Amino acid sequence: MEFEAVIGLEIHIELKTKSKMFSSAPVTYGLEPNTQIELYDLGFPGVMPSVNKQAVISAIRVCHALNMKIDDTLMFDRKNYFYSDLSKGYQITQQFRPIGREGHLTIKTFEGEKDIGIERLHLEEDACKQLHYSDYTLIDYNRSGIPLIEIVSKPEIRSGEEAAKYVEKIRSIVTFLDVSNGKMEEGSLRCDTNVSVREKGSSDFGIKVEIKNVNGLTNIQRAIDYEIRRQTEILQKGEIVKEETRRYDENKKITVLMRAKNDPVDYKYFTDANIAPIKLSKEFIQEAISTSPELAEVKKIRYLSMGLNEYDSDLLISDVDLSKYFDEAVRSGANPKLLANWINVNVRASLKRLNISINEFPITPIHLAELIKIIEKGKISNVQARDLFMKMLEKKISPNKILEESDSTQISDMSTIQKLILETISENEKSVIDYKNGNERVVGFIVGQVLKKSAGKANPALTSKLVLEELKRR
Amino acid sequence: MEKASKEVLQLTASKLMFDMTDEEYDRLVKEFEVLIKQMNIIGEIKGVDDAEPMTFPFDVTNSCLREDVCSTSIKKEEALKNAKDVKEGQIRLPRVLK
Amino acid sequence: MGYMHLGLLDIHEALIKNKVTPLELVLEAIELAKKGTNNCFEYICEKEAIEKAKKLDDSKKDNILYGIPIVVKDNYSTKDIPTTASSNILKDYVPIFSSEVVNRLEEAGAIIIGKTTMDELGMGGSGSAGHLGTTYNPWDKTKTHRIGGSSCGSASAIASGIVPLAIGSDTGDSVRKPASYGASVGLKPTWGRISRFGLFPFAASLDHVGYFTRSVYDSAAILNVLAGRDEKDYSSSFKPVEDYTKKLNEPVAGKRIAVIKEIVDAINDQDILATFKNNLEQLRQRGVVIDFVSIDYKLLKAIYPTYIIVSSAEATSNNANLDGVKFGLREPGKTYEEILKNTRTKGFSKLIKRRFIIGGYSLLKENREELFVRAQKCRRLIVDAFNSVLDKFDAIYCPATPTVAPLISSNLEAFIGDYSIADDYMAFANMGGLPSITLPLGFKDGLPFGGNLTAKAFDESNLFNLAQAIEDSTGLKDLVAKEDE
Repeated sequence: MEFEAVIGLEIHIELKTKSKMFSSAPVTYGLEPNTQIELYDLGFPGVMPSVNKQAVISAIRVCHALNMKIDDTLMFDRKNYFYSDLSKGYQITQQFRPIGREGHLTIKTFEGEKDIGIERLHLEEDACKQLHYSDYTLIDYNRSGIPLIEIVSKPEIRSGEEAAKYVEKIRSIVTFLDVSNGKMEEGSLRCDTNVSVREKGSSDFGIKVEIKNVNGLTNIQRAIDYEIRRQTEILQKGEIVKEETRRYDENKKITVLMRAKNDPVDYKYFTDANIAPIKLSKEFIQEAISTSPELAEVKKIRYLSMGLNEYDSDLLISDVDLSKYFDEAVRSGANPKLLANWINVNVRASLKRLNISINEFPITPIHLAELIKIIEKGKISNVQARDLFMKMLEKKISPNKILEESDSTQISDMSTIQKLILETISENEKSVIDYKNGNERVVGFIVGQVLKKSAGKANPALTSKLVLEELKRR
Repeated sequence: MEKASKEVLQLTASKLMFDMTDEEYDRLVKEFEVLIKQMNIIGEIKGVDDAEPMTFPFDVTNSCLREDVCSTSIKKEEALKNAKDVKEGQIRLPRVLK
Repeated sequence: MGYMHLGLLDIHEALIKNKVTPLELVLEAIELAKKGTNNCFEYICEKEAIEKAKKLDDSKKDNILYGIPIVVKDNYSTKDIPTTASSNILKDYVPIFSSEVVNRLEEAGAIIIGKTTMDELGMGGSGSAGHLGTTYNPWDKTKTHRIGGSSCGSASAIASGIVPLAIGSDTGDSVRKPASYGASVGLKPTWGRISRFGLFPFAASLDHVGYFTRSVYDSAAILNVLAGRDEKDYSSSFKPVEDYTKKLNEPVAGKRIAVIKEIVDAINDQDILATFKNNLEQLRQRGVVIDFVSIDYKLLKAIYPTYIIVSSAEATSNNANLDGVKFGLREPGKTYEEILKNTRTKGFSKLIKRRFIIGGYSLLKENREELFVRAQKCRRLIVDAFNSVLDKFDAIYCPATPTVAPLISSNLEAFIGDYSIADDYMAFANMGGLPSITLPLGFKDGLPFGGNLTAKAFDESNLFNLAQAIEDSTGLKDLVAKEDE
């Protein structure tokens, strides 16, 4: 019997707004516990929610990127349950009317392109952060109320690879739209997975196993593939898969049981009467979309039209911050093709060597653009350019300033170079004879000597052209 | 609509994180009998099934959203003033199992 | 002699003419509060009030509330003043912020001298369901009759002449019913007219800020202070605020009042009926058009169960923050769940727990269609029925209660099948968010009873105008049952 997997993903994404979803407390990370809070976040009796406009704009942008139908009326519901990280005993979410419905996105796998349907996207609020010690737990309300969007896929994913590609695409969308930092390792993008296995071709669903909070794309792929194998083996033995929640053990590379699901929680949803329905005008929705930052694929099209090749474009859009860096340097007047090459070769190599992200890179895009302009004018040699780049890394100032300081402007004046060539040849008469006898390497030697005499300032291309002419004349 | 048995009501209470005396459950079972009877009568009112469930007393739809601006947040000491067990500026609970 | 038994306007005049100072008023009110035997207070703010009276900024002297001692129901958050909503679960809770209502009152110069008792967390209408026990009706010196709830302490405090303004809250009829039993004017305006920020929620879709005064004028003047949009309550209305005293004395000739026939028919007390009908006659003489109209009896009978289900369901969620973690009572336990269960088991009274179970049960997946959603649908039919009457009339007018204050020995806690539709019908105004006012109609054996007038949403000016006509015709205002009389 042949089996196939049915996978659905629920992705929670923290939005990087200034204030929280329903309170004006700041959204920050890593600050002193319980200092980034408002009355609402602790659930004091009588506090009331107010809906963050930017969070709504962000949600609209993601909905649009996921080709979803956007609801023109916002309503919020309460999800009622008790947990130590939940200050009010309920979470405000959008159970009955999610802001986005019926979307899809296209992923590229080794087998080709595939459309994955998306069920819903809704806005909600995050819970507190808990710090667990050996015999107690401390509660920090700073995270309580940070805006979240939850994106629920249709059960149309069939493999670990597809799931990983889907998550990667969602992450690219939310980071390019600048609505989230999308970092899985920091918990700003969290992924819950539902996996079931059924007889191939069947339209029924198998028994669902939930894998909680898998961290990182590779782990998502591995966890799902492991789980598919595990469930398939059970079914092949003629046994029944148990409905349960599992987690992924990164070290052993297996999924392990967290808890059985014998009593699913009834969240007793109902609409929150403290939030009057909010009508989103066509203009508001349109404005949110039209002012939205570019998605990766839109950027790529633009890059290709600038004359970049496929390879350079793909490298640039693999990281939203890298592409932003590129865009800013282009805006400062750098030649796009030359710039892309420099970023993808020298900048990326430096990032790797220094083990930093582009946001921490010491050379500003404006300064890099200056360097590119200098190179493009042919003012300096490649060797000099790389040298200058290293100095920029070190000094964190503009290349023109470095050049001024060291007076290292390339000598492109023909008569000056010609003078140095004549001087060099007269010191090395034998070279001319060697050249006449067919030794081509002499050219390089003379050029090297001239450059040395000029302390590296002579334009190498011009020098070598002039040396050749001079030798031929002899 | 089924009868709300004592066991079901006990489970409901347990999900709401409290308990009552047996006597109270017995009393509640009787209250439920009346309530469910009333709700069944309501179910027979003409048009009730087709009515739109009402959350807000009247149409209160607006287009007001809060601007995304941070305001001064409350001080940690104030926020925790009413908590009974605080350690290192955080509320302490017995270790919560994930 | 003193001033605390007078209406707001009279006390205000005495202050303006410098016959009395805010401090003297506060001292008088505190003395009365301390001497009171009706169990009105959770907390008397003696020190705080005296301090405020001394520091009062007399640039606000023109405001009707300047220097006026008032009381506030204990479900309004008051900064640095204990607030328990008469529940053990909020033992020792001292809020770090004040509700918007309290802020606006204090901004106008009012001085809170006490937090009043209530039915625990606003649930129940007996005036006996708070952790301090029964609050008494000052009109009955034998202490055998109820004042009604849930705003029992506020109703009793104003009726016993302690303060001229008492803030309550009204989810079903929690201001308007005790106003009837206490001969005061009880108002709840339109839903969203006054900010609920800082009012402990019972059922957000039904909760209203309400208050007791001794005259219709005072009621209108206080709405001028409290009404208006508040950024902290996103359900509060943007509708412009009027001067609600402006149209009070306009002629009422030609205005139309509907009396709900079925409700009047359900009243057995002939004295109440006779007084009510007499008042209708008085209004007719002023040119008011009065018609008896019908509303489906089944819908009227449905008001109470519908209210119980909707309010209890919302209440389970609104009180889920009471967990022993951040504030209030905390009972020991080995785990978070144990702390939660022990705290809530000990902290809530029997009545509250039964209501929570009703609410929780109604929301469960297997029951929600037949209980919660059906109640929400029925709410729509009830509201539509009353609104279609209001389409043709300026207001609906009926006796507020079918009897005078019931005996304390009567059991009001249990949900019973043979309730009268005249008992709890006023919740229709909560379901529809309509402005509604109760005012004194008469007395029977020394106990008062009132009439209730309800108008269209945001039509408070019209409501006050008609209420003023009723008050003028009965001549009943500034009624106080002093302790020593």
